[in-house]
Amino acid sequence: MIHKLSTYITDNVNPYKNLAMEEYLTLHAEPGECILFLWQNRHTVVIGKNQNCWKECKVNYLEEDGGFLVRRLSGGGAVFHDLGNLNFTFCVREADYDVDRQSEVILQAVRMLGIEAEKTGRNDITAEGRKFSGNAFYKTKGFCYHHGTLLVDVDKENMSKYLNVSREKLQTKSVESVKSRVVNLKELNPDISVTELREKMIQAFEKVYGLDSEAILETRFDWKEIEEYEKTFSSWEWKYGRKLPFQYSMQRRFRWGDMELQFQVDGGIVQAVNAFSDGMAQAFVDTLPKVWQGCRYEEQSLCQAMKGIPEESPLEGQMKEDIAQLLGECI
Amino acid sequence: MNHPTELKYSKSHEWVKFLEDGTALIGLTDYAQDALGDLVFVNLPETGDEVTAGEAFADVESVKAVSDVFSPVSGTVAEINEELLDAPERMNEDPYGAWLIRVENITDKEELLDAEAYIQFYESEADA
Repeated sequence: MIHKLSTYITDNVNPYKNLAMEEYLTLHAEPGECILFLWQNRHTVVIGKNQNCWKECKVNYLEEDGGFLVRRLSGGGAVFHDLGNLNFTFCVREADYDVDRQSEVILQAVRMLGIEAEKTGRNDITAEGRKFSGNAFYKTKGFCYHHGTLLVDVDKENMSKYLNVSREKLQTKSVESVKSRVVNLKELNPDISVTELREKMIQAFEKVYGLDSEAILETRFDWKEIEEYEKTFSSWEWKYGRKLPFQYSMQRRFRWGDMELQFQVDGGIVQAVNAFSDGMAQAFVDTLPKVWQGCRYEEQSLCQAMKGIPEESPLEGQMKEDIAQLLGECI
Repeated sequence: MNHPTELKYSKSHEWVKFLEDGTALIGLTDYAQDALGDLVFVNLPETGDEVTAGEAFADVESVKAVSDVFSPVSGTVAEINEELLDAPERMNEDPYGAWLIRVENITDKEELLDAEAYIQFYESEADA
């Protein structure tokens, strides 16, 4: 039975700090307490725990634009966050976990803004048949969270730039994202702002549970513990280095001939490469697998390794440039 | 719901089958797989990893949540069920056939329940 409602609103927009805070709040929810955490991330792609980031996201574009890639603890698919999106998390003990009731808070909050919404089977909340909130869940040792996005005015161009990935040639056993038609709440009611939705979320929270809420005092936080979680979320090992092996083959026709590169990657590290070309400079092509093995699967480290190959002719300089471009587009 | 009497159960909904050679198989109970819903992914440890009684050694993802799986015993992972990596749905279809890991060198175990006590436990938990 929930008998205490707590809220925590942060103006921090660093995703690693926010996920750390979310984990902390979850693991410190008291019996009978429901914590509503409201937060925003700046320019971030968040992937599900068991997803392959290269399959779900154009990692390279995101990084070039100064965005963040984040792997969350919960399952499901990839989403794009910017300051037009509001995230919510309900943190409770397992005995107090009630997805329907928690979802009702969202439905009521948007209803206060004149929008009729419904929950669909796929953990989405939709209005007029289009999704404005994707939800995901995490459980550990008697603690649970239910979190999700609320699209108010998200940049859809960026969303498709990073998430519209066609990686048919990336073979892996990871969890795949499901494409949905999305809608910004602002399209349904032009007067809505994130600030207003945040207020309505708290009002709806109190209404659904029939209790008053209180803001959590920061004196309750153990910042050291939160920093530890943040270290994990921001680490290369957690984001890219998880044991999710995959194979990816990229192919392109250049002026100097066809090139095909087959990468085998595990833990974010290139385990093996096959390189094929029908052009000249076979010796150069044969050297690529040797210099790439053991590199991180990222454009920069692969290009760096390739740069070190001595050039026997100007053609090889051109090949390096072309291959670098191919890697940039495919990673 | 099916809970074989020859198995032991943990309060975090794992089953253990102690084998004659001193090793033990660990899996998710029928109750657990039903509560989790359709499983789409499993993260297993590696052979040779240490597991500790009461601590997470794996996690499973269903359409409803990512959930940690806890080890009822302490020991060393002798074998993992690789079939589950390709077919996590086996844990839904056949929870007592679809073991996750086999543990050897067992040094400790949690307080475990027999089938009858386990059923009583989760029924009282559901009423709470």
